[in-house]
Amino acid sequence: MVEAGTHEKGDVFVSIEDGKREVIIKSKLERLYGEAIRDTVEELTRGIEAKIIVEDSGALDWVLRARLEAAIRKYRGEKI
Amino acid sequence: MKLRRTRLYIPGNNPHLVENAGLYGADAVILDLEDSVPITQKFDARILVKYSLQNVNFGVSEKWVRINGIGTSYWKKDLEEILPYCDVINLPKVESLDDVDTADEEMSLIEDKNGIEPRKLVPIIETVRGLKNAREIATHPRVVALAWGGEDLTADLGIPRKKALILDYVRAEIVLAAKAEKKQALDTVFSDVRDMDALYQYAQRARYMGFDGIGVIHPNQIEVVHRAFRPTEEEIEEARKIIEAAKEAERREGKAVISLNGRMIDPPVVERARKILALAEVD
Repeated sequence: MVEAGTHEKGDVFVSIEDGKREVIIKSKLERLYGEAIRDTVEELTRGIEAKIIVEDSGALDWVLRARLEAAIRKYRGEKI
Repeated sequence: MKLRRTRLYIPGNNPHLVENAGLYGADAVILDLEDSVPITQKFDARILVKYSLQNVNFGVSEKWVRINGIGTSYWKKDLEEILPYCDVINLPKVESLDDVDTADEEMSLIEDKNGIEPRKLVPIIETVRGLKNAREIATHPRVVALAWGGEDLTADLGIPRKKALILDYVRAEIVLAAKAEKKQALDTVFSDVRDMDALYQYAQRARYMGFDGIGVIHPNQIEVVHRAFRPTEEEIEEARKIIEAAKEAERREGKAVISLNGRMIDPPVVERARKILALAEVD
């Protein structure tokens, strides 16, 4: 399993683990932004067969994209 | 010359702080990938900083990134990720002109690959060896300013920072090394974010020592430092008189050396007066 981001205010925590493709979104602002978050996650993780969990703490779209890219690149084996 | 009175340090892996960094009017914002980012977060921070440089409005602030030092295994990846999107690279623990050459080579490769203009470099002198070589380091054409760091330097010397007697010498050496090459000299941070009077004194002392700015670690420090770097009314008035006298003399006699109230006013004095007026007009 790989992780990126934090649970701090304005951030988002992303984890990706081996398994059947599944996208789980947890956000306090799910009613308002749940759909937009899901759209971005689906767009950036297309083709990745894994369990993807996104726990949002009020992140802006560019933060979500940054954390997703970090998680995906780690999942593909990139190191520090 | 670009004003660099304040440079606001922001931890590179904190999106909330990064998002707001441009709101405070600092002359520069430094997104930090070095000391404020734990090793476990280096990867995430590098990518977050890249995205922030492309998406956050940093307002009037010049966009700096403090990358990891060239003695680490991270600095090339830092550059690769963020160089195309920032204005200035802040390079820690620079010890020699060779270090600057190494960074310059890598930066040039990335700039060529991306078809972008050369980015600027501000080395941080924070070891005894770096201090010894500061004059050489300042000669590199990519270097626009020299900064220095007190904690690492006093640690390198093996003395407690608060009791270190050598720091005024260090400051003088940084200023001389930078100014001899017509570069800017940047003093280190003032870390007590509550004591604004002491901050003002510190910044004004830095100005009179020859520095062009100091580092800040809290937005509340910015206005105080800008005020400290603003010339006093007395200085402004004197500068105005000098410029007037110089203009008058040139108009009348074409002289380079003139006198004002019995005091000789030669070209360097006029030049200093111009700088004071330029600084006074800011804000």
